[in-house]
Amino acid sequence: MTAPAVSFSGVEKTYKRPRLLGAEYHTAVKELSFEIQAGEVTGLLGLNGAGKTTIMKLITGLLFPTAGKVRVFGHSPSEVAAKARVGFLPELPYFPPQVKPAAALEYYGRLSGLSGAELSLAIESSMRKTGLEPHAGKRISEFSKGMLQRLGLAQALLHKPDLLVLDEPVSGLDPLAIHDIRALLAGLNSEGRAIFLSSHSISEVEKLASRVLIMVRGALAVTVSRAQWEAAPGGLEKIFVEAVK
Amino acid sequence: MNNLLLVRAVAFNAFAENVRNRFFTLFAVFAFTAVYASVLAGVMAVDQEARVLADFGLALIELTALAYSIFGASSALLKEAETKTIYLVFSRPVPRWAYLAGKLSGTLLTAGLMLLIMGAMHLSLLAMRGFGLPPFYAWALAGTFLKLSIIVSFAFFVSLFSTSAVSTLVISSIMWTLGHFASEARYMVERLPGIKGIAFSALLWLIPNLQLFNARDAAGAAAALGPAALFSAAAWVAASFLGALWLLSRKEF
Repeated sequence: MTAPAVSFSGVEKTYKRPRLLGAEYHTAVKELSFEIQAGEVTGLLGLNGAGKTTIMKLITGLLFPTAGKVRVFGHSPSEVAAKARVGFLPELPYFPPQVKPAAALEYYGRLSGLSGAELSLAIESSMRKTGLEPHAGKRISEFSKGMLQRLGLAQALLHKPDLLVLDEPVSGLDPLAIHDIRALLAGLNSEGRAIFLSSHSISEVEKLASRVLIMVRGALAVTVSRAQWEAAPGGLEKIFVEAVK
Repeated sequence: MNNLLLVRAVAFNAFAENVRNRFFTLFAVFAFTAVYASVLAGVMAVDQEARVLADFGLALIELTALAYSIFGASSALLKEAETKTIYLVFSRPVPRWAYLAGKLSGTLLTAGLMLLIMGAMHLSLLAMRGFGLPPFYAWALAGTFLKLSIIVSFAFFVSLFSTSAVSTLVISSIMWTLGHFASEARYMVERLPGIKGIAFSALLWLIPNLQLFNARDAAGAAAALGPAALFSAAAWVAASFLGALWLLSRKEF
């Protein structure tokens, strides 16, 4: 039996903020258990501060859980074996403005262990998939927000990951860019990649995901499958509103 | 995957980013102005012009390179965390030691380039005034580079627990200043009685003796920078690197 793409088991994450006398603690996620299967598109919904970004960072090894266990393809997120299979798009990624997209991708490709012809092919393929090819001659400083987001996706795709973790992938984009990115994600999923995306846009998650996790104040309130929200009157939006109220 | 290739990728990227940054050009222009302005001090020195120009220029080179390097080292990791660039690095199979080694190497490469550029400016001034290459010139630059290596590594370490780039800059500058008074401090501590003497002697181990790297002080010796200087630099860089790595490996982003 193959390991799930992501597995959370009783996970808690508490942030410690040092103060003049002692420290202040804030629990961002608590008693969190869920699984994401390989090849599945899972959405993550929640209000601001619900713990969505914390979950993404726990999966990518940027944060360590305070309690419980996180596994990515059966490995700890800090292990090379896990990281090699994950592509991460953080919210509003930054790239050096003076360089061209291929140069930025070359750096991240090298960090993913690519080199030589394999690296060149990966850059070409990522730029083609994300529609950046016509803009290859521009500097990143000339890029619009939508193009930056495409570049963010391109860097996440370089090493052909089995799991894409996307934090607000369509945040602030115009309708055409949203349409293109949605089509791109659907295409990546059809190649067998699991996608885990967080968003404030219920309609976007509804269009892409086969299952949605709704977070409320750091806890998993509801897990809804496509069949459930399609059968429910008011759809996913009503389920979400009822869960967070 | 070869981790050394990762170190090289991070180092070259850091080097390229540093050189592209406008501060590199600004510091180079400042150094050019300061080095060439030292011609006034040389003229006032009359028959000691060659010595004054050489000493003054080398001191300016060291101070400018120090300011540039500490500035770069203080903000190197902080900037990557603020811009979230570090997310794209640490979500990949990049060991934290490789990232730290790459960043440190990139910063030192830039400091080395800055030293070479300023050295070339200085030598061109000396040539313009009709003077040749001063003895121990290369050793002096090498000594300055070793001092920079120590302070830059220390700044990386401090930047991982300090609250801002400014506090890292201040702490590292204090360390650099203290390091130039290590012999004087040792002389005074040796005269302290009892437990005070022991306590202050222990504290002295926390300050690098940067006087070891003043190559011109050692004029007449077989080699301006002896094994003690090289060993001291290696030990301080290694200790700061390990301290920084210990902090970085526990750091969350």
